Amino acid sequence: MLNYVFGGMVVLSLVFALWQDAADLSRNTWRNGESIPLDIVHRDGSSIRFRIDGDSTIIRGDWRPDGDRAEIVVPVTDALPAHWRSVAANQESTRKQELRTIVVASDSTSAAIALPAVRFVKLRAITKAAFDMAETAVTLALGLIGVMAFWLGLMKIAESSGVIRIVVKGVRPFMRKLFPSLPPDHPALGYVSLNLAANVLGLGNAATPMGLKAMEELQALNPDKETATDPMIMFLALNTSSVQILPPVTLVALMGLKVNELFFSILIATTFSTAAAILAVKWMEGRAWRKEAA
Amino acid sequence: MSALNLVSVFVLPLLIVGIIAYGMIRRVKIYEEFVTGAKEGFEIAVRIIPYLVGILFAIGMFRASGALDFLIAGLRPILDPLGFPAEVLPMALIRPLTGSGSVGVLADMIATYGEDSIYVKMAATLFGSTETTFYVVAVYFGAVGVKRIRHAIQVGLIADAVGAVAAVAVCWWLFG
Repeated sequence: MLNYVFGGMVVLSLVFALWQDAADLSRNTWRNGESIPLDIVHRDGSSIRFRIDGDSTIIRGDWRPDGDRAEIVVPVTDALPAHWRSVAANQESTRKQELRTIVVASDSTSAAIALPAVRFVKLRAITKAAFDMAETAVTLALGLIGVMAFWLGLMKIAESSGVIRIVVKGVRPFMRKLFPSLPPDHPALGYVSLNLAANVLGLGNAATPMGLKAMEELQALNPDKETATDPMIMFLALNTSSVQILPPVTLVALMGLKVNELFFSILIATTFSTAAAILAVKWMEGRAWRKEAA
Repeated sequence: MSALNLVSVFVLPLLIVGIIAYGMIRRVKIYEEFVTGAKEGFEIAVRIIPYLVGILFAIGMFRASGALDFLIAGLRPILDPLGFPAEVLPMALIRPLTGSGSVGVLADMIATYGEDSIYVKMAATLFGSTETTFYVVAVYFGAVGVKRIRHAIQVGLIADAVGAVAAVAVCWWLFG
């Protein structure tokens, strides 16, 4: 399934990007090659001040002769028209802070210029996103090292001192229903319940290390190391749909005290999603089992 | 509520100190055990990198291509009459894909509609109720090297969809 999702996203992104870029080109959304008439207010050597025809804002730029043509290089500021700014942001040149316009005609008081052509915006965007996200992935994983090491260090102590065993005993009756195929005293159940508890309390950074530890324990019981087991899928379903008593830290950071109003709505919505997750897992398990029996 | 917030302040320090103290009482070699566990944590964090790179770059391309906008435009006429506002749809679609992306969507919605808008409440409830399913699946299975994940994605997405519908319905009921 992940193969289809992965391949689908990559291929679709190219299809969509090409489609939109082609639409941009055929409709000339970016008004490529359109000549814009200017009134030159003042020109002194390389510095130039001008107005776009029909507009009163004075724009400063740099007049640069280039063979028999010339360029006006305009620094990008908020004073520029919106279209100019979006051309600057989407131009092919990597120097987004300046707009190199080409002078197509000029005399002493007026000129006409063309903005740089904008093409294949989406195609460039998906390429950039691919590389950026590859980097983000590594930053994310490396950023996890500290918390991971910290929590798994603590958990090792908890395991040796018997805390995990106590937790397993406490949650056994409940967990037995959800994970019928696991040995009832297995430490995996301890990590699973610690992860779920951390999730319920909105402690994201404690939840991940315990969750990964839980996966390792579940993997130790897995006869086929490359294929997910039923308990793994049940665990992930519970994890991603988790009931929330305290909202996640990011939400508090974004909304401040307003988040208190959402206590009940989040609690109720997550109760539904958790119930749906459990039912969906049981249904899928049943389907696989029926398929085997048939 | 404030009592719950208070709990969240205390629970972590108590847990940390409690585990260490209980280890001392049970005469566990706490420092050595800690380091052994911490090493494992380091290894897991490094082990998930290839899986994360794989899933995140694909999600990044998909998002940058604008495909989601098409999906939103296509779903709007179906969901609007059912009471699922189009304003909340971007959050519902982006939330399972990326955490940072959905934070961006929510911040953007707060700036556009204001904190008291029902759309923001729906989106925030949705944000609080569901997880970045693709990220979690990639990281958790990546950490143990499982490649065939069977129906894990389907189940996660079913739960996300139910969570999204429940978030919208509950907000209509509580705040509408």
